[in-house]
Amino acid sequence: MMTSVVRGYGSYVESQLLGLGQNTVVVMGTSEYTLTRNDLDYIRGLPEVDVAEPFYLTQAYIQTKEGRKQVYVYAIDYDILNKAIGNLKLEKGEYPSLTDVTSAVIGHFVAFSESTGAKLFDIGDAITILMPQVKSGGKVTFTRATVRVSGIFEEYGGAMFVSPDTGIFLPEKSGKSILHMNSWSGIFIIVKDPMLVDSLVKKLRSTYAGKVDIIAFQQIAKVVSSITGAIDFIAFSTSLSAFAVAVAGTAATMITSVIERTREIGVLKALGFTDSQVMWMIIAEAILMSLIGGLIGVTLGLGGAFVMASRGLSISSGVSKLVIKAPPKITPELISYTMGITIIVGIIGGLIPAYRAAKIPPAVALRYE
Amino acid sequence: MLRDDIILKAVNLKKAYRVGDVVTWGLRGVNLEVRRGEFISIMGPSGSGKTTLLNMIGILDKPTKGDIIIDGVRVSKLSSKEMAKLRNRKIGFVFQQFNLISRLTVYENIELPLVARGMKRHLRRRMVVDALKMAAGDLTWLKKKPNQLSGGQQQRVAIARALVNNPAIILADEPTGALDRSSAKAVLQTFVNVNKHGQTVIVVTHDPEVANCSNRILIIRDGIIVKEEEPCWDKCIINTVK
Ligand SMILES: Nc1ncnc2c1ncn2[C@@H]1O[C@H](COP(=O)(O)OP(=O)(O)OP(=O)(O)O)[C@@H](O)[C@H]1O
Ligand SMILES: [Mg+2]
Repeated sequence: MMTSVVRGYGSYVESQLLGLGQNTVVVMGTSEYTLTRNDLDYIRGLPEVDVAEPFYLTQAYIQTKEGRKQVYVYAIDYDILNKAIGNLKLEKGEYPSLTDVTSAVIGHFVAFSESTGAKLFDIGDAITILMPQVKSGGKVTFTRATVRVSGIFEEYGGAMFVSPDTGIFLPEKSGKSILHMNSWSGIFIIVKDPMLVDSLVKKLRSTYAGKVDIIAFQQIAKVVSSITGAIDFIAFSTSLSAFAVAVAGTAATMITSVIERTREIGVLKALGFTDSQVMWMIIAEAILMSLIGGLIGVTLGLGGAFVMASRGLSISSGVSKLVIKAPPKITPELISYTMGITIIVGIIGGLIPAYRAAKIPPAVALRYE
Repeated sequence: MLRDDIILKAVNLKKAYRVGDVVTWGLRGVNLEVRRGEFISIMGPSGSGKTTLLNMIGILDKPTKGDIIIDGVRVSKLSSKEMAKLRNRKIGFVFQQFNLISRLTVYENIELPLVARGMKRHLRRRMVVDALKMAAGDLTWLKKKPNQLSGGQQQRVAIARALVNNPAIILADEPTGALDRSSAKAVLQTFVNVNKHGQTVIVVTHDPEVANCSNRILIIRDGIIVKEEEPCWDKCIINTVK
């Protein structure tokens, strides 16, 4: 079942590659470098770049019926958002016009409670956003902004970098006027072809020399893929030794059971059961035994897989933290594969005891006390 | 006709048991002819080879020398699969300790030889019921587990199991050894009935009142049949126990 969790993450990453990220690169400003119009023009001028749009991003709190809730507020061009995140759909309402700086599209779990599913905000509602600001001396003050809900996104699930479900998305212009941010947080870049990501990243690295953060989702995905690949291998080798243990366990149990029932086997043979009938009876019993064991194992394993997966896999680098929550990938194939293995365990584990039992001469078996 | 009349023949049957370097002779050369429909009892001291002989006859073990012919079939020529088939069709076993399978119901125990034979489920029922009736059993036992029955009742179930396939020969090794007198009487009554029905019965016993119910008493000593005695029907347990 380890396998199902790992494959869950693996396929999550794959789906992200297809959805968000395959050809997305984000350049983030830092405390020592502020991105400006010049940077945007330079990036737009690079041959690899299809589209590049600046955005503002801040962490904030909103007040809901269920208390204070943490959200991410983005001021970003809706077109590039849609290009970057595939399958992001409005479940209600519409995108505000580019100049409507106080209107927002909100994520599913801003509009609805994550725990109860209760509706917190609807189209037309006003949301007050509290943006913490650390002043000198460590004092935190909040800047307030009020926006109106014009659209609600469908539930998206985990996504890299952008978390649509807990985001509030405003037009790019809102960054300055509503969020009172004086510089862009970063620039969202869509590359013409996924093949060009590496060359673009190389160019940007040499231009900015570590002054900005460059996030290429394709590269993150590669790392996660290799991690899940490694875990998959570990899981495989674990399964292999578990397989050996299971075979040995089945064999030991069956040998005990066969010895205990030597006399019974003698009786069956006296009544005319053939060696192969006796052998198959014992193998069938071993298979049944390992199937029961397998069923218990699968049930516990499934439970474990869901618990592990619900806690998620978190990858953090610097300020950005990525939590991957992916449902374990439990396919009918995986279950039938597990059951197939179980049956093989039963056959292999039962074979030797069954053969031994079948070969005992009945007269000897009947003398057994 | 005369040849066909011999259901069982043993020719110079020898059996050596080897435990380490020690060789014990269970049988030292037994010759025996049993006609179809006979009721034979075998008596002898402990360790004289009675069980060994019965095991050879029942093809539960292979003789060291000699041969057995059952209903015209030379056993030494058979594969282990053919031996199993012969045991299944021609021979019914009854043991001192009943040897019923405790996990199975009475019904399931009795039908085992039919299962081994590969008979269809719906055909088995009637045969199981007939066999239990023949063994003077009670049909209410069918759903019970063996341990819910008395020793005498369990032995009658075991006899029903031995009879269910309608075998030519019933072999019983001290079938009354674990029973009280009245249960022993019921068991012998069953054997006598079965024998009247045409089946050949061979019983190993220490009990003269059991041996006296048969047609012929064979005395075995040190692995050899030393003499034959005339039974006395009046001293059969059926007549001595009220
Ligand atoms: N499996 C065996 N291994 C070694 N020796 C054996 C084996 N079976 C029987 N014997 C020996 O062969 C001889 C005949 O044994 P058998 O069991 O046939 O006697 P029996 O007449 O049935 O005795 P009892 O009346 O006690 O049942 C005995 O000396 C016994 O110890
Ligand atoms: Mg004996």
